[in-house]
Amino acid sequence: MRVIVILIALLVGSATGLGLTWLASARSNGFGAVQVGAWTAWPRSGTSDADPYARAVFARSGQLPIERADGLVFEATATDNGSAIDGRCETRIAGRLPPARLWTLTAYDTRGRLIDNSAERYGFNSTEIVWNHDGTFEITAAPRARSGNWLPTGDRDRIVLLLRLYDAPLGLASRSDQPLEMPSITQVNCP
Amino acid sequence: MRRYAVPIAVGLVLGGLVHLTTVLALPRLALEDAFARVERLGPANQVHLIPAPTPFESVLPQLDPSFAHAACRYDLSQTPLRITIPLAPDYMSVSFYTRHGLPYYALNDRAASQRVIDLLLMTPQQRAALPQDEEITAADRLIVESPAEEGIVLVRAFVRERGVLEAVTARLKEAKCVPLV
Repeated sequence: MRVIVILIALLVGSATGLGLTWLASARSNGFGAVQVGAWTAWPRSGTSDADPYARAVFARSGQLPIERADGLVFEATATDNGSAIDGRCETRIAGRLPPARLWTLTAYDTRGRLIDNSAERYGFNSTEIVWNHDGTFEITAAPRARSGNWLPTGDRDRIVLLLRLYDAPLGLASRSDQPLEMPSITQVNCP
Repeated sequence: MRRYAVPIAVGLVLGGLVHLTTVLALPRLALEDAFARVERLGPANQVHLIPAPTPFESVLPQLDPSFAHAACRYDLSQTPLRITIPLAPDYMSVSFYTRHGLPYYALNDRAASQRVIDLLLMTPQQRAALPQDEEITAADRLIVESPAEEGIVLVRAFVRERGVLEAVTARLKEAKCVPLV
């Protein structure tokens, strides 16, 4: 009887412990997330002050994160109203960006791989994109080719967008900082 | 049912401990971390070009496809390193990572006075041992202190459009990461 009791304790212990670690290192980039609309950034994770969760994520994924002095990465997995970004829909990413020397917007699948397409178009950068006259831009992520800034989604059901701002003097530290202006993400024509 | 309440409670506490230990240990246990991936590119203290990421293959996950990358896995156990990176006309940056993929320093092309980033990478001990009046310090070269003997230097070079890829890659090929003798 005692053996069973000890076994239960050990089983519950290892299951919850390892499960929590797996979840934490797969789904988040640590503490100190900054949320602007549909976008999330982890400014502290790009410094040597990164918390143990951020360190675990980097080690597990094998990535070399962008250092804060180099740039800042924003991630979006959902639209403005919270539904997951679905590559089978038409997803409109539109608006303005915070000041930066340059930026890139890239679409990945949920495992961090680029999305295969015959146009070899994996994203846009600030120099090649077609801007609107008023200084805003609009990108449409969709499975099939269309005019304008088209970002192929390869019919994936889940898309992860990474927006990287390079050499961006953003103040994210204090509450008095200007609110950041980030592009909106809306989705139409879902199957 | 009551008799299982205690073992389950004990198990949950144990689970918390397991969770904390594994999170803290993960950087040391991960087999496919950035260091292992860069190690496959070639020997230490040399700059290696990282092939452009494709949907099927990428040396490192989540590389920016608008950039060309080069990496130098360094080992300072013998001597400090001199790192020189000729700059392309567009944005370029060099970032320094620990053995476990944690960034500790970065600078971009704006920080370079000439059209080249030229710096010395050394451990705090090696820096302390530098003679004050030697040529090295007189050259006023930037010194980056690595927290440990091993780590990674990653160069990111912006590729504005496909047409300039070749020119940018050519500059990256000229980058050097050599022991200081």
